[in-house]
Amino acid sequence: MSLLTQHDSDAAALRRGTRRFLFFALLVTVALVAAIVVRQGLFRQTTSYSFVANSAQDIAKGQAVRIAGFRVGAVSEVSLKDDGQVAVTMEIDADHMRFITHDARVELRKEGLVGSATLEIVPGPDKTRLAAAQARLTFSRADGLAALANQVRDEFIPILKDIKLITGALADPDKGLPGTLARIRESSAALNILLANGNRQVEGIGGKAIRVLGKAEDDLGHLGQTLEAANKRLPGMLDRTQQMLDHVEKITAEAEISVPPVLRDGSAVAADVREIVSGAKQTWPIRNMVDAPAPATLKADSDPRGEAGRAR
Amino acid sequence: MRAKSIVLTVLILAGCGSTPKPADPPRLKAALEAESDGAKRYERGDYIVATRRFEEAVRIYASIDDATGTSRNRLHLARTELARGQAEAALLALAGNAGDPTVDTLMLTAQAQLALDRLDAAQRSLAAAAGQCATPCPQLASLNLLRARAALAGGQAPEALAHAEAALKLLRDGNEANETANAWRLIASARLAASDAAGALPAAGAALDIDRRLALPEKIARDWLLIGDIRRKVGDGATAVAYRRALDVANAAGLAEIARAAALSLGATAPGQTAPR
Repeated sequence: MSLLTQHDSDAAALRRGTRRFLFFALLVTVALVAAIVVRQGLFRQTTSYSFVANSAQDIAKGQAVRIAGFRVGAVSEVSLKDDGQVAVTMEIDADHMRFITHDARVELRKEGLVGSATLEIVPGPDKTRLAAAQARLTFSRADGLAALANQVRDEFIPILKDIKLITGALADPDKGLPGTLARIRESSAALNILLANGNRQVEGIGGKAIRVLGKAEDDLGHLGQTLEAANKRLPGMLDRTQQMLDHVEKITAEAEISVPPVLRDGSAVAADVREIVSGAKQTWPIRNMVDAPAPATLKADSDPRGEAGRAR
Repeated sequence: MRAKSIVLTVLILAGCGSTPKPADPPRLKAALEAESDGAKRYERGDYIVATRRFEEAVRIYASIDDATGTSRNRLHLARTELARGQAEAALLALAGNAGDPTVDTLMLTAQAQLALDRLDAAQRSLAAAAGQCATPCPQLASLNLLRARAALAGGQAPEALAHAEAALKLLRDGNEANETANAWRLIASARLAASDAAGALPAAGAALDIDRRLALPEKIARDWLLIGDIRRKVGDGATAVAYRRALDVANAAGLAEIARAAALSLGATAPGQTAPR
């Protein structure tokens, strides 16, 4: 009896352990599924946008879509249209819709010249209007290595042609480098002759210039002597001038004090004299001796300057 | 001594008893003084100050509405400007009298016009003056002289001579030495222009004598120039002497224009014509 009882208790413990294990396993499984679902964005709110491309090259379903390098969505569908073009639909997180303007464009870029391709949404200049949901954006494909190579080839071919022409012209015996060198040789010979003549003339001018400079030196010597003499006499003259100025200043100062009263006195005296003379003129018997001012008569002179005597 | 005291007493009593002259109003007195002073300066040949004084007189007379005094002083002013050789200024002064032109105004206008070589205008002014100069006309001699000048300027020597001789006749009994000298000078010039150089020389000499007596340097210098011209025409050997005298007088009096003319004439005189007068 006791053995049976012991067996029952062990079996119950085992059943409890098994149930716990199964419960934890279920929890882990649910957590994994939830994580996968969240990671896949099934619970995120998204908005779809589309664009049309000429080719589906480097575009695939699930390909990341970025804005300024940040992943904001993914390509949800790539399908071939009836007209042969490729319609691409993208799912973009609703949180990043504010960056997609109505004039935004989708560019297919490559990381470096040979890296993996990514789709980059480039917002347009007009930030005031956002693109509506389901809007069709314009698409462009960044140049890859082949395009770059083609561009380089297109640039290089005309340059090579020009090089060919230039080298041909340089090789021309008449107009090219040989002819030019021959003409340079001739010119340098003529230049040598010209320089020789110039040297002879400069030597002549130099002789004259030396004579002129010699004369100028003499003149400067005289001038120096004159200035020296003036320099010796000048201090004395300045002293005398200063003395004269001092005298003049003294006289002026004295005159400033004495002259105005004298002038005032003179004016007053003149006024008094005028008054006295005027009064005297009106008194008897002087008034009978002085002619009172009267209307004047000037003597007639039909030719006051004698101009009639001779033609002027 | 007693007689002297009596005479002195009588004189004092007479003075006290005489009626005092009424004094002129101050502005009229100032105008009269300016006019009188201007006339004195004109007589002395101080024409610049005389001009200022006459201008002052004109202004004062005009301010007291004395038309006669204003007009008279405008004539004085014009006469002074003519003596200075400022004929344009003289015409400007006379413009104020143009409303009612007297014989004097017309004659002075003609004189200024002659000085400016406006012969036609001068002839018109003289004709107007002659129309107003009824007999007896005190200005007739001067008018004749101006007509003689105009005729001479117009190249009519016989007519000029006739007017000048008529003027000389009128001046013979008068006391107008200036005009008499002008008449002789015009007669000399007219005779010279009429190729009567021999008759011109004494007339020019008569003018020179009067001008010397009046001590008028400009007229003396011009008389010498005229004498030089006559002598050159006659072929007298003392031509250069006459021009030299003209040059000396002009230089001494500071008459640049006449000095230049004399120097030119002297330079153009032949070396043989330098014998003393």
